[in-house]
Amino acid sequence: MKLRILLADDHEIVRRGLCALLQKHEGWEVCGEASDGRQAIEMAKQLKPDVVIVDIGMPHLNGLDTTRQLLQYDPNFKVIVLTITDSDQIIREALDAGARGFVLKSDAARDLVSAVEALQSKRMFFTPRVNDLVLAGFLEKGHAISRNEPPNLPTLTAREREVTQLLAEGKSSKEVATVLNLSTKTVETHRSNIMRKLSLHSIRDLVVYAIKNNIIQIQMPPQVQRPTETTMA
Amino acid sequence: MAVRILLVDDHPIVRQGLRTLLEGRPGWEVVGEASDGIEALEKVESLQPDVVVLDITMPRMNGLEACRLIQRKTKASSLEVLVVTQHDSPQMMREALEAGARGYVVKSNAARDLLEAVEAVSQHRVFTAMARGPQGSY
Repeated sequence: MKLRILLADDHEIVRRGLCALLQKHEGWEVCGEASDGRQAIEMAKQLKPDVVIVDIGMPHLNGLDTTRQLLQYDPNFKVIVLTITDSDQIIREALDAGARGFVLKSDAARDLVSAVEALQSKRMFFTPRVNDLVLAGFLEKGHAISRNEPPNLPTLTAREREVTQLLAEGKSSKEVATVLNLSTKTVETHRSNIMRKLSLHSIRDLVVYAIKNNIIQIQMPPQVQRPTETTMA
Repeated sequence: MAVRILLVDDHPIVRQGLRTLLEGRPGWEVVGEASDGIEALEKVESLQPDVVVLDITMPRMNGLEACRLIQRKTKASSLEVLVVTQHDSPQMMREALEAGARGYVVKSNAARDLLEAVEAVSQHRVFTAMARGPQGSY
């Protein structure tokens, strides 16, 4: 019986690359592709894949919250997180969310097959940096990184994090209500609670909070040095 | 029409996705890959592609710098550069066109726009498409 894999990434071109990579492996099949976290959860419930590969930086519902919700629904889901950065904070959040694999997108062509094989053999797969961090936590505290130390999101509920992401992506309360199938009034209440809990005073503050805490990710433009002879058209 | 293409992106998985898409087109050939701007310059010289599909945010040398240098090096040739980037920004598109790119496609829509864009730039037509705005080929 084939190992069934669900892919979740908002870039179709990345999904095509991942598909091409995974389907070369005999005995594996990509059973579904999702372009955001919300769709990934729906598809995972329907398709019951053996492995779910989620990008962290997805719109509507990021990969970390997708992982949390998937494992809350069924703790047997095996999730590999794909990320563009392996900062300590991202690593801690991914582990805390329950991911069993952690692969840098830049290294996916090299590491992803090994990661899926590890999960297939009921093992975990992490990059060397994650292993170092886990080991350091173990040596310091006598145990692996504690699940009781989430970084900066201690006070928000799962629903509040969803609302935070959608507001930070620029959606109005009405649009958030439509996405989450809630009333606008309920969204407004969540919004007030979020602002109060986090001591924020504006949507701008909320966006900054969302970026700092990896709820949304942004791509910075390169520092461009223009040649002196360049003229504007 | 035969088109020889060089892919430049620092993520192998993105190059694989682009390759899968482009190689489905009869007559088009991905002749090489590069993972940053410096490697792109070397491969442009050695492989002489017709079209360079170029990412912007890359280590060592970003795509805008690479594009300018490719244009300087290949003034007399018919090589064209198509930028494929995450930056869904009119300002970045303008920078890319000023650097000498003939086309600009946003990565989130690459699966939709890439084939049309490569076809356009290989015929020396401009192709630009933002993720949310109108696209144009002229």
